[in-house]
Amino acid sequence: MTLAINPIEVASFGISAGAVFGLLALGLVLIYRTTGVMNFGHWAIGLVAVVSYAWLTGEGMLPQAALPICLLLAMAAGVAAYRLVFKRIARSNQIIVILVAVGIAQFYSSLAALVLGFRPFTRLPPWLPMATLEVAGMRLRMSDVYTIGVGLAIAVGFFFWFRVSRSGQALRAVAQNREAAVLAGIDDVRYSSLAWAIGSGLAALALLIIMPHSAGQQGGLITTFDLTPLGTLLIPAFGAALVGGLVNLPMALVGGVFFGLTREFLVLAPAPWSELRTSVAAILIVVLLLLRTERFFATRQELEALEA
Amino acid sequence: MSTAVESPEVPEQVIEAPSAVATKKTRRNQFIALGALAALGAVPIPFGDYGFFIGQYAAVYAMLGLSVTIVTGYAGLISLMPYTFAGLGAVMTGLIMTGWGWPFWLAAPMAALATLPVSLVVGMASVRLKTLYLAIATLTFSTALGETFFRWDLVTGGRIGWTVASPRLGPIDFGTDLNFYLLCLLVVLGLVWMTEGLRTSRLGRAMLAVRDNELEAQALGINVYKTKLAAFVLSGMMAGFGGAFLAVLLGNVSPGGYQSPVAEVTSILLVSLVVIGGIDRAWGAFFGAISLVVQSQVFQGARFFFPFFGMYSAFFLMLFLLFRPGGLVQVSKITTELVKRRPVFGIAVVLVTVALNLGIAYIFIRAS
Repeated sequence: MTLAINPIEVASFGISAGAVFGLLALGLVLIYRTTGVMNFGHWAIGLVAVVSYAWLTGEGMLPQAALPICLLLAMAAGVAAYRLVFKRIARSNQIIVILVAVGIAQFYSSLAALVLGFRPFTRLPPWLPMATLEVAGMRLRMSDVYTIGVGLAIAVGFFFWFRVSRSGQALRAVAQNREAAVLAGIDDVRYSSLAWAIGSGLAALALLIIMPHSAGQQGGLITTFDLTPLGTLLIPAFGAALVGGLVNLPMALVGGVFFGLTREFLVLAPAPWSELRTSVAAILIVVLLLLRTERFFATRQELEALEA
Repeated sequence: MSTAVESPEVPEQVIEAPSAVATKKTRRNQFIALGALAALGAVPIPFGDYGFFIGQYAAVYAMLGLSVTIVTGYAGLISLMPYTFAGLGAVMTGLIMTGWGWPFWLAAPMAALATLPVSLVVGMASVRLKTLYLAIATLTFSTALGETFFRWDLVTGGRIGWTVASPRLGPIDFGTDLNFYLLCLLVVLGLVWMTEGLRTSRLGRAMLAVRDNELEAQALGINVYKTKLAAFVLSGMMAGFGGAFLAVLLGNVSPGGYQSPVAEVTSILLVSLVVIGGIDRAWGAFFGAISLVVQSQVFQGARFFFPFFGMYSAFFLMLFLLFRPGGLVQVSKITTELVKRRPVFGIAVVLVTVALNLGIAYIFIRAS
């Protein structure tokens, strides 16, 4: 089977995958910036939405109607994790914070597995249109176009919300200097919960974009194996977040697109390399870690305040 | 930056008072501890071969858990790849025993040595990083190794993997469940003893100092980077050595068990079992493994075994982290103190706790 590969088509796959990584990274960065927790359970909280989506659509609900309910459920799961657990831990003790995040991951992913049960796979109906678009001889998938659109819309929405709205400004204040924000009369627990809600909602949206549209026309099939999408989703998302030094939101989106494009263009590479998606991502991540990207985006005081 | 996993230090009598009375008391305590250990080791006997098999599992997981104790408990580095090192050891054991035909007694130390290049490279690249970045780096390396090393058919034996025979020593065949159980128990006790010894050695004290306050450690003339690297490498070797026993226990090593996502999930499970047991003492890994195995036996009959098990252990992980960060070791110390000070109340508390746990387990077994 020979496929004529058009670089623009590959780029469209890459950017849409990158938008998904970017959404995940955005959630990670938002939560880390406001509460000092690097959420290793990010995907697991998103899974709450995926399994409830599978369950609701399995009961005969319209996918588009089920979507907002699922997003709300994931948000509730994230806020619960913050209010019940993370709020009670001193963020200076990063080992405990990370171990707890790992525990949260285990808890929610096990919950997801419990809801799905032991069926070999579960069908997820698509909620984005699955047609292909022919433009100037190129075949673009409509779902990719919509994904890119959603990513852009969220980026623009965030930009204005952070600059203009009162709650956005309050959230930024908490992220930049929690103590000063509290002294200025901002309820930091409330705005941290808001950050967790938005971050978890973004994780859920990212997973709900990629999982129901992974298998072409018939939607998506997930197995219990897909319940731990570490290599395929979480690691590129960490990489994307690292492009912005784990603290910068716009750069996290840019990083997502970068990782998405790298991944898709690797498919075109000769045989041993095309198999090594995660390894290439790993090399990039190590380079980013050694560059200590965070120093470009935050002052030393801000970084120290994150974990104090 | 204080990144210690704190647990209140109960002053150790051994060091404190070398008087005759104290020595006598210490010796009595040692006898009690030995007796308790012997009783614990004898628990599988009434269950026959099945019990011994489960006992082997606990012992092997305790060996793997000790690697987490060294790297996270002692040195304060988070590594999310212990099971990948175990897989490396297991695969090397398969290659050496089945591919080359060497005996197990050579294969096990070589499995430990085989992790050395990998842990050195990973350690040199990432040990300098802050806690959080180190966790990301090890998670990434674990996935990347699953994609590269564990696809190297020449070493891993391809998709089918290696069949690993059980070890033999002269006339003793460790193929029977009882013999291999005794071997595992002996080895794990030796390793616990070594890990506990490491804690009070020069290197171990350096690790603890680095964990508690890096700047202070540096001021004391400790080479922080080398100490962290040593901890990482030692933990990798410990996991590799445990991996050799894992290979024999499973009887078959196929690379699929050490690739993403199984490797990461099992690594997380290992970390959580060590935290439940008590992360900064060597016995923690031992007790954690026992609690893991007991839980898995209770949930065995349930229809949704893995999900239930995962939720239960995650719940306990968080409970321990929030309220008893020292794990079961800390709980047992507190309980012992309580029993000493107020015997009646203390013993009542212990009995009620045991009864509650047994009751819950019984209800669960009946319901499933």
